[in-house]
Amino acid sequence: MSDSSQLLVRRIKDGTVIDHIESAKALVVLRALDITGREGNVITVALNVPSSKHGKKDIIKVENRFLETGETNKLALIAPHASINIIKDYKLVEKRKIQLPDSIVGIFRCPNLKCITNSEEHISSTIDILDKEEIILKCRYCARTLTSDELVF
Amino acid sequence: MPNNHLYDHDIVSIKDFTKQDLEFIFRSTDKISTLRPNEKSELGKGRTLGYIFYEPSTRTRMSFEAAMASLGGSSIGIFDPKSSSIEKGESLADTIRIIDLYSDVIILRHPLDGSSRFAGELSRNPIINAGSGSEEHPTQAMLDLYTMLKEKKKINNLTIGIVGDLKYGRTVYSLLYALANYNVEVHLISPSILGIRKESIYDIRKKLKLYEHSQLEDILPKLDVIYVTRIQRERFPDIQEYEKVKGTYTIDNNILTKAKPDVSIMHPMPRMEEISHSIDDTNNAIYFKQAAYGKELRAALLALVLNENPI
Repeated sequence: MSDSSQLLVRRIKDGTVIDHIESAKALVVLRALDITGREGNVITVALNVPSSKHGKKDIIKVENRFLETGETNKLALIAPHASINIIKDYKLVEKRKIQLPDSIVGIFRCPNLKCITNSEEHISSTIDILDKEEIILKCRYCARTLTSDELVF
Repeated sequence: MPNNHLYDHDIVSIKDFTKQDLEFIFRSTDKISTLRPNEKSELGKGRTLGYIFYEPSTRTRMSFEAAMASLGGSSIGIFDPKSSSIEKGESLADTIRIIDLYSDVIILRHPLDGSSRFAGELSRNPIINAGSGSEEHPTQAMLDLYTMLKEKKKINNLTIGIVGDLKYGRTVYSLLYALANYNVEVHLISPSILGIRKESIYDIRKKLKLYEHSQLEDILPKLDVIYVTRIQRERFPDIQEYEKVKGTYTIDNNILTKAKPDVSIMHPMPRMEEISHSIDDTNNAIYFKQAAYGKELRAALLALVLNENPI
C-alpha cells in the first residue's frame, strides 16, 4: 500500500483493495468476483496505473465489503500476482496473496463444445486443478485436461 | 462378498475404478454367471432398470436388458428420443429426474461428454454410463478386459494393437484407462487425421507403454490382440481422404497370415468393412464372444449395484 499510485484513488475506510492486478484485467476480475455495482457500495477501478514493479497495473477498491479467501482465490488463473488488502478503519488489517483453489466453479467455460456444461442444461462449469505447479486443469464433467490459456471466460 | 464398493454407486467413468475394483468385478462376473437360474433371478427380483438412449444402440441396450431379465428384474425406457418428451425439448435433467422415480438403476447413453456425471448428480438411484459423447464407455472397457482375461487367460504382458478411429471412438479412451492398470504394451494404429487426442489421455501417458503407428503391418507380428474400431466416414471433411484410408486396416485372412497364429481379433461393434466376414469362423475372431461376455459382465454390474451382498 506504499505505492504512490494508490493516491490516484481515495483511501477507503473499510473494504477490500485488490492491488497488482495485471494491466487491463480489472474488468475481468470484477466479472469473476461477480461485482456488478448493483450491490450499492462504492467501487473504484483504476486501469493502467503506473507501477514500479510491473510498469502498469490495475487496482480495484471495494468499499464496505471484505472479500473472503474463497472468493479471491477464484482470481488465481486471471490475476495470479494480485494481492488482497483488507482495510478496516483506514488500517491494513490483512494482506494476502492469491492461492490456487482445488476447483473453480462457474467462472470459466469448458472449451470443449461437446461438454454438457456448454449445453442448455442448468449446470455450472467446474474446473478442477490437477497440478498447481504446472497449472494443469481438468473439467470435472467431460474430464478434458486443459491449460489456463484454453479456458473460455 | 465384502467390500462391494459398487453397491448403490454410479458407474460413470472407468477412471473411478482401480485394478482391485476391476478384478473384483471380473471375479463377481465369474461367480454370478455360474449361479443356477433360480439363484440368479433373486438378484434383481422386483427391481426395475430404466434406460435412456439418446443415440442408437444394439448390444449395449439389449445386453443390459437381457442381463436384468436374467437377474429376475424388468426394464423400461426410451430408446427412440423422438417418441418421448425429449422431442418436445424436455431437458436431460428433467428426463433423469422422472426416470429416477420409476427405476432402481438407470442406464444412460447421451451424445454430450460429461452427461453421465451430470445425471449422477441429479439421480437418487445409481446411473450407469452406457456411452457419453466421445468421452467414455466404461462398461465396454470392463467387458473388453474381461474378454481378454477369459480368452487370453491374462491381461498383464499382452501386446495390444488398437486400430482405426482413435480420435472419436469413446470405447478407445475407456479401454486405454482400463489397460493403464496393467502391465501391457499398447500400439495405436490410425491415419494421422484420426490419431488419439493427447489431452484426453493426460493421466495415463506415463503409465502406459504407448506407441503410435500409421501402418498395421509395422507392428502386426508382435500383437497378441488386435482391437479394431470402425473408421467413421462421417468424420472426414474430405470424402476422398476417407476413401484413401477406409480399407487400410481391413482385417482379413491375408492379414492373419502375417500375425501370430493365436492373435485375437476384438471389436466393440458394429463392424463394417474393417473386419472381413471371412474370418468370422476362425478361432482368432472373438468379437461375438466379446458381445456375449458383455451380457454376463453387465449382469454382474447390475447385481453389484443393486445388492450389497449379491453372492
